[in-house]
Amino acid sequence: MSKLKRTLALLATLAVTSTAFVACGDKKEDSAPDSNNNSVADNNSVADDGNADDGAADDDAANDDAADDGAADDDAADDGDADAPAASGGDISLPDTDDVLTIVCWTDSDLSNMFDIYTPVQASEVKYQNCGGNGTEASTQYANYLNSGDDVDLFVAEAGWILNYINDDTMSAPLSDLGISTADYADAYQYTVEIGTDNNGVLKGASWQAAAGGWAYNADLAKEYLGVETEEDMQAKVSSWDNFKATAEELKTATDGAVTMTVSLGGLWQAYSTALNAAWVDGTAINTSIAADFTAMAKEYADNGYVDPSVEQWSTEWENYGKDGKTLGYFFSTWCLGEGAQLDTNCGTAGNWRIIQGPQEYFWGGSWLCVSPNCNTATEAANFIRTFTCNADTMEEYALYSGDFANNKVAMNKIIADGSNSNSSLGGQDQFAILADVAEGIKMSDSISKYDQNLKDTFLTTLKENIKEDTDAIVEKFKAQALADNTDLS
Amino acid sequence: MSMKQQYGAQKDSYHTQIMIKSTIILIVCIILTLICLIPILILLVNATHSHTELAENPSQFWFGSSLKENMNILLNKLPSDAGKAMTRVARQYSSVFNVGQGYLNSLIIAGFTTVLTVFFSAMTSYGLTVYDFKVKGPAYTFIIAVMMIPVQVSSAGFVRFMYSLGLINNFIPLIVPAVAAPAVIFFMKSYMKSSFPLEIVEAARIDGCGEFRTFVTIALPMMKPAMAVQAIFAFVANWNNYYTQNMILKNDKMMTVPIMVSKVLQFDKNVNYGVNYLCIMLSILPIVIVYFVLSKFIIAGVALGGVKE
Amino acid sequence: MASAAQSRIKSISYAKYGYMFIAPFFLVYCFFQIWPLIYTFILSFKGNQSNNEAFVGLDNYTTILFGQGMAAGAEATRQEFLQALGNTFILWFGNFIPQILLSLLLAVWFTDAKVKLPGKGFFKIVMYMPNIITAASVAALYVSLFGDSEYYFVNSLIANMGGDPVKFVTDPTISKGMVMFIQTWLWFGNTMIMLMSGIMGISPSLFEAADIDGANSTQQFFTITLPLLQPIMVYTLVTSMIGGLQMFDLPYLYHNGSNFSKNLETVAVYIYYNFNKGTVEQANYGYAGAASIIIFAITAVLGSITFYMNRDKDEIAKKKQRKRAEKQQKAKMKQGGGLTI
Repeated sequence: MSKLKRTLALLATLAVTSTAFVACGDKKEDSAPDSNNNSVADNNSVADDGNADDGAADDDAANDDAADDGAADDDAADDGDADAPAASGGDISLPDTDDVLTIVCWTDSDLSNMFDIYTPVQASEVKYQNCGGNGTEASTQYANYLNSGDDVDLFVAEAGWILNYINDDTMSAPLSDLGISTADYADAYQYTVEIGTDNNGVLKGASWQAAAGGWAYNADLAKEYLGVETEEDMQAKVSSWDNFKATAEELKTATDGAVTMTVSLGGLWQAYSTALNAAWVDGTAINTSIAADFTAMAKEYADNGYVDPSVEQWSTEWENYGKDGKTLGYFFSTWCLGEGAQLDTNCGTAGNWRIIQGPQEYFWGGSWLCVSPNCNTATEAANFIRTFTCNADTMEEYALYSGDFANNKVAMNKIIADGSNSNSSLGGQDQFAILADVAEGIKMSDSISKYDQNLKDTFLTTLKENIKEDTDAIVEKFKAQALADNTDLS
Repeated sequence: MSMKQQYGAQKDSYHTQIMIKSTIILIVCIILTLICLIPILILLVNATHSHTELAENPSQFWFGSSLKENMNILLNKLPSDAGKAMTRVARQYSSVFNVGQGYLNSLIIAGFTTVLTVFFSAMTSYGLTVYDFKVKGPAYTFIIAVMMIPVQVSSAGFVRFMYSLGLINNFIPLIVPAVAAPAVIFFMKSYMKSSFPLEIVEAARIDGCGEFRTFVTIALPMMKPAMAVQAIFAFVANWNNYYTQNMILKNDKMMTVPIMVSKVLQFDKNVNYGVNYLCIMLSILPIVIVYFVLSKFIIAGVALGGVKE
Repeated sequence: MASAAQSRIKSISYAKYGYMFIAPFFLVYCFFQIWPLIYTFILSFKGNQSNNEAFVGLDNYTTILFGQGMAAGAEATRQEFLQALGNTFILWFGNFIPQILLSLLLAVWFTDAKVKLPGKGFFKIVMYMPNIITAASVAALYVSLFGDSEYYFVNSLIANMGGDPVKFVTDPTISKGMVMFIQTWLWFGNTMIMLMSGIMGISPSLFEAADIDGANSTQQFFTITLPLLQPIMVYTLVTSMIGGLQMFDLPYLYHNGSNFSKNLETVAVYIYYNFNKGTVEQANYGYAGAASIIIFAITAVLGSITFYMNRDKDEIAKKKQRKRAEKQQKAKMKQGGGLTI
């Protein structure tokens, strides 16, 4: 009897507490959006205080529901800029209440280069927060970080997942809030502007790089086994995927399989998928044809030993293939080519490396600077963005310093014409001259989706682990996993 | 006579048997000791080698001379002529593994949680032991029942809830929940049952001592042994807690040691093996030192936990 | 009966302190545990990704358990969850069995008065040590030592001896074995010390009597030690099982490359991965919630079964008797006014 009583008492307490909390929770859920709105409004009022001459239009632009107004505001800014010199820019509507510019990033290599050549104009300190690790991990860390209320002025987003952030007004603010508009990017590679523009046509991200990719090869090995002396000859031998394969076969015969054509499936995928020129996602449907296409190719390459499918992209094994002279070449994007970047570390002392366009014009990744709605160092943030994404002079300096292909045609053409760049890892070759045409031709804006990072990771992992199975089975497995991860897709 | 002989022989063989058994046990124990220690020793050895040395020969068996260099890389204190590539490595590591900050943050979290856990668990178990009230039985049953609930089952809701309260990047969600530690209460309650005479409370009341004062000045000192044991375990558990901290802390100023290690592990460029090992070493060093200083006490504490069951 | 009345008043007035003393626990527990649990429960009835606000009923459960749901990948979700569940049990079982056997053996040896073992204290200290090391660091250490190729410690030794590299990190079977090994490495010292204190709690006279009766140590182990150790063994089993169900750090961090290894995906990893995927629009809160509640149910069932199986029948009978006596006494006392504090 007493046991029953006790159990009942326990149940009753539980029920009371839980109902109390459920009630509590419902209220909270209801009130949460309100408080969000309030905080946005607060931000605006601070902004207005800071810039008394700002009109009501700016107020609307910052509001979530007024995307159209935002676009209109953009146009207005464009008109204004047409007369004024580009550098002076439009009005800054975000506040200037802090004197530390904080940039959240997921790898510090590019920012590290930028900070070396950047002089703050207003802020007392410019710093970055490294969310650490790699792009995949970062895409999971960013959301909570950006919403944590901690100081974030700018953040760096990668092509694979930028759309999640620029299409969410709680995560990102229009660049027009910093007085920067599409007109400032007349000299930029257009695809970077298209990707940085959200679904409503508002510019939300600016890229400092045009992530053109090439094929870097070990010239010593090429000479020894293929009898190739010059870059032009090498390019001729890999000028198409058919030639690439034929050369891989030639290399295999010459070295008895000791040297592979390239290392990982990741690099091969990046180049090859550009040729397919199709998006991962069509509406909500996963486009498995590109997966099937590449799987068939990858299987052929793996079976024939042109590539080692077990090697993880960016891993120690991947790095050592180059160092030990076990591979002829890598697919490298522009951000792999600077001092201390992958080319520098992977080619080691084993050889004498060169870069060519390779079998395919392609792009690889790329990073965009986006503005946090909580940006409170607006002047400095605007200056930082302009310095590395608009200003031809500073971008030229950046390109020369970092080896990264800057997103400015004027700057890059000047470097190429002056012959001022020489890459010691490439025997003094100017990688920009090779990649300029590639950068010009990149068209990726139609084919990216917010699922790209996840789908690419899932696909390559599935492929790597099941490479022995037949193509249909691999594609089926990939699709299953992709659908399990993304309930929005079909 | 013959019986004595026989007995002696038996005794001898018995002794040899024991000798053999002891030797076997000793050998097994030495092997297990080596298995326990070797990974740690290799870690220490490798942390003193440079990246180049480890890349050339990953299986080093004796200490190298690069500990200071690795430390300089980690602290981003390279000489100005170190070269751009090395500077990049140093910046990358120091931007994620800020060892002083990590120690401080871990210490803050582990310290506060320990104090809260021990104090409030003692308080709750005191309340459940000393007083008689209607829900006492159900309350204790409840505590025992929830002891088994894994953290993971509520973590999705926990993160969303903290998110809506604006407590992401905040130590509060990591520290305050330590007030409620069912397993510690369970331990302390059984400790009090066996070694806390209730007459003392009665005596204190007669002396006019307030209830809370009785608890703080009389009960707490008497529970010192149990509290000390639980304090150590709470400290270690919270120092090592990766799961919850990784969900809540995103800002690099708030990083704790386990998160830093996990981030170092994820680097996909500019990896430096020597510094990697150094990071892992630094992450376990404080806790290992504390362990060896308090080891006897800790082992006794674990054993006590066993007896109480 | 003035004094009895007095003490009765006393007992009533003190009850409020009881509530006060246990209030912090319950407030904090409800706020940080019970409400998040209820919230998780609510989330398990809501949709995933862009559908995260909608109420979808039992869809997440049917998807996870039976592969039937709105999402196109329902069947794949079921398979992934079941695989994660399978991995959890395999990994737990694979570390619990060697761990309990090794610990039991060591505990018996260490408590055997006849065995002369020098440095017993030292061995205990060293064997317990792995248990206090940060699991994240342990994962990092083992990945650094056991990497897949000859560029890592163990495989470079194997290569020097002329062997082929062993894929300790990426091979589905070997990597599971490694996690089991590391988990055993971490926990056997702890289990050993618990069991030792259990064995030392057994009255020595039992062993002496067995000695006189001529029972050898194996017989003594099976007739005395093991049966009397049952409660503590069950306790170890339960704690290890709960620990096993929440196994996260090691399987999550023991990998190469940027993603955790699907071969080692445990339920805890599954839950974490699904709710921690970036923006709310990217995450699968519904699946994570449903998986959490399922694990909660499994824990509850397993815990109850173990405790039910473990209850000592005699003890229960005694307890019942004692309770009856207590009740009678209480009834008497109530008549005369409570005397309890």
